[in-house]
Amino acid sequence: MGLLWSELRDAVPLIFHGNPYLLSVIWFTVQVALIATATAAVIGLPIGLTIGLGRFRGRATLQAIANATLGLPPVLVGLFLFLILVPEGPLGGLHLTVTRRAVFIAQAILALPYVIALSAAAVQGLGSGLIDQARLLGAGRLQLYVLALREARIGVIAALIAALGTALSEVGAIVIVGGNVYGYDQTLASAALYEANAARYADAVAIGIVLTGVILAMMGGLGFLQHQGGGIRLRPRAET
Amino acid sequence: MSGADPAGPVLLACERLSVRRGERDVVRDVTLELHQGELVALLGPNGAGKSTLLDALAGALAPAHGTVQRRGRVAIALQSADLARRTVLQNVMLALAWWGVPRSERPGRARDALATMGATHLVRRAANTLSGGERRRVHLARALAVAPDILLLDEPFAGLDAETRANLLEDAVSALRSDRRATLVVVHDRAEAWALADRLLILIDGRLVATGPPRELLAQPPSVTVARFLGFDGELNEGHQTLLTRPSHVALDPAGPLRARVTRAVGLEDGVRLELELDNGRLYTVAPLPAPVLGDSVRVAVHGGARFPRADAASDQAAAVSLS
Repeated sequence: MGLLWSELRDAVPLIFHGNPYLLSVIWFTVQVALIATATAAVIGLPIGLTIGLGRFRGRATLQAIANATLGLPPVLVGLFLFLILVPEGPLGGLHLTVTRRAVFIAQAILALPYVIALSAAAVQGLGSGLIDQARLLGAGRLQLYVLALREARIGVIAALIAALGTALSEVGAIVIVGGNVYGYDQTLASAALYEANAARYADAVAIGIVLTGVILAMMGGLGFLQHQGGGIRLRPRAET
Repeated sequence: MSGADPAGPVLLACERLSVRRGERDVVRDVTLELHQGELVALLGPNGAGKSTLLDALAGALAPAHGTVQRRGRVAIALQSADLARRTVLQNVMLALAWWGVPRSERPGRARDALATMGATHLVRRAANTLSGGERRRVHLARALAVAPDILLLDEPFAGLDAETRANLLEDAVSALRSDRRATLVVVHDRAEAWALADRLLILIDGRLVATGPPRELLAQPPSVTVARFLGFDGELNEGHQTLLTRPSHVALDPAGPLRARVTRAVGLEDGVRLELELDNGRLYTVAPLPAPVLGDSVRVAVHGGARFPRADAASDQAAAVSLS
């Protein structure tokens, strides 16, 4: 307990020191979180909505697979991605290993299952009445998706929060594909791991505190959108 | 009730339509036509296949057998009056967007439809603050706003208390009538059918067992099954015939020709519903207060009713269906 207290006491001044390294890691972490979550949302929401709203054979199987991918070990994802991206791998020509892009890709892949599985569950929970009514009044697929997104926004934003949390805090994949290179492709989580491995516990704790603050700020922002009266407005308000 | 022009063109027709759900034929061999300007009620007991037939007519369910022909666009209002989490006006405009109405026309058409359903005062209200009756009004306005050629409504008055339903029904009677449209309304309550429809379709166990103007069907039901469904719950055996009666056909009359004994008395708002046992059958009537009590002997007169061969009545007994 004494050690923890001592490291915490040493860590706090480091946070307020204005260390350029720490600032660059914070900025990169925010970039990774936003880009990975946005990428996962762009790819995952249409898939989640299709699974949630679709009436096709194999839908239940797809849902089960989507749910199962929530349990994918990040280290395993990182390993497979690494083997694909290394020069000898099928995408080796892209020269992505140990690059920032590889970190973006890894975190987006880890965030994707959360967006797919949880958004599918959210729109399934809507009940069929309004969606069926929209279908029967001629709504097209895009209109159905927009309707479902709006109606299920609390669940959908919860999916995005889960994805954002993964993108912010997972380290298993990015240390493999990105190499956890000091000051280059480190996120706050991988930087904390780096410092801990080097036995610089006060630095690790300081980074951990900053990471917690970033998580709370970003999650809080999404949570606010989730629970405000109108939710995320996908289209300008129509005449009332 | 205003009659529709029987010469209006047929907008919706099905021939020998059967619809299967799982292993069961829910709709069986149904043939019907809906004419422009007609307002038709589809009546049947729970599980008769009314909603399934509606879905098949709308094209939402594929028929197992038979054909459906539609002239024009079909709009269907489902039984559940689910609305989006928006204002009432936005909900109706949303339906117009689904229907493909140009953006510029939507506000005007939505307001007109809401006015038709007596819901102008609700336009700015959030849908999740509406009562059940208000929600139903908006649901109907949404279906009317799109101005379809064929309008199918699935139990638009379901789940409302008697007073709210009566109020909504009063507004719906005129709102649902249109010379340009064919309208089919599934109803669960006979009173709704009498109030709304030019023509009545009765669906029992997936089969269309009767069709005709409500008063004609009531005056002369085509079969014992239909009669029982229409509330002919009294039965008197007279030689080779059975007389089926509704409570309105039976009156307590000290000078009446029939002697009966009261075997059940249930209090109603305006009187007492009596079950009367006779030597040759059992009758039901509603007596004003003060009414006879259980065990009393009374004299009864019967005015009207429907006669059927006694064998028909006996064979239909087991399959008798009634709405209570």
